[in-house]
Amino acid sequence: MYVIVVYDMEADRTHRMLTLCRRYLIHVQNSVLEGEISEGDLATLKGEIEDLLQTGESVVVYELSSDSLLNRAVYGEDPAEDSRFL
Amino acid sequence: MDKNYHIFSDGRIERSEDTVRLETEDGEKKHIPVEHAEAVYLHGQVNYNTRLMSFLNDHGVAVHVFGWNDRYAGSLMPERGQTSGRTVVEQVRAYDDPEHRQRIASAFVRGSIHNMRTNVTYYDSREYELDGVLDDLDAAATRVGDAEDISQLMGVEASARRAYYRTFDAVLPDSFSFDRREYNPPPNPVNALISFGNSLVYANCVSAIRATALDPAVSYLHEPGERRYSLSLDIADLFKPVLADRLLFRLVNRKQISRDDFREELDSCLLDEGGRETFLKEFEETLERTVEHPELNRKVSYQYLLRLEAYKLKKHLLTGESYDPFRRWW
Repeated sequence: MYVIVVYDMEADRTHRMLTLCRRYLIHVQNSVLEGEISEGDLATLKGEIEDLLQTGESVVVYELSSDSLLNRAVYGEDPAEDSRFL
Repeated sequence: MDKNYHIFSDGRIERSEDTVRLETEDGEKKHIPVEHAEAVYLHGQVNYNTRLMSFLNDHGVAVHVFGWNDRYAGSLMPERGQTSGRTVVEQVRAYDDPEHRQRIASAFVRGSIHNMRTNVTYYDSREYELDGVLDDLDAAATRVGDAEDISQLMGVEASARRAYYRTFDAVLPDSFSFDRREYNPPPNPVNALISFGNSLVYANCVSAIRATALDPAVSYLHEPGERRYSLSLDIADLFKPVLADRLLFRLVNRKQISRDDFREELDSCLLDEGGRETFLKEFEETLERTVEHPELNRKVSYQYLLRLEAYKLKKHLLTGESYDPFRRWW
């Protein structure tokens, strides 16, 4: 499935969420990651997100059953383009 | 299914914040989502250290290295998650029993010929005249059963492949003449594309075999040699027509790859970086493409078909269930 994760964290803690999500997804903008992920990995990731959160912080996970359901338009440079060819 | 990542830049890869980071020579930093990686392919000059190796090992990620002239130089494989002494014992036993070895090797050849044939049939049904090639392939297929030993079987395979390669000159435009198969180094663009495609199929088969407890160095059709994962050669032969050759025809005929995408030197010809990238992008897309599997009753990716092949072989060795090689069914 395809997910988009956005988060709002205490300024000095944002990096921890980025570090966590980067193991699974592609970082596209400040506090936004997206990418293809398996259901199992997503369950694990959700658990880890919950463990990391403190009061006042939030994470929103948008799930699509596949990336073909997503209309994705990018203006300017696409940070996710060809993320598999470095 | 996890994905392959390809690094073309020069630089270093390291473990950073629980994932893999590439720092290119111009100081750019890029991340690879490690939980999502099947293997990392190094095409550029890349440095790494032991800390990265053990990290990749923990995550079961393989590294395949391509050296000078795009040649497959070797793999750094994660410690096997699957160990089974019994599988290896059965695998070697089957190799050591001439009759059993011949049966498995014949299956590989039969499957390869079938898959070459489907490519030829496809182009034959379009405007190309390839009847002669089809006849030769059919003739080779009937000789598989008559082969008395492995070397004769290899001969049958070689003559089928020679016939098959005649398709290339017929299907490809005149500016891409193939002539004959040569490598080390490839003398012309078509040979360069075949070599590059084959090495990618081979490396992907290494990953697939490694997912099982099979030993990649014990093979049936090819002689288990030093240094090479010869079981990967056996399995790769089945998939080259499907994964690499069709792609080659498509890329050249649609002019996505042109003669400008090659570096030609004295007597060698290789894809340049842009050409490699174009080829790889399409190759990875092919691996992700899915087909309905008649027995599993679900869609599986081409990449998963490689793994299925390793599972099937393992099952055959352990349970004696007959081994039917992969044959393109769609």
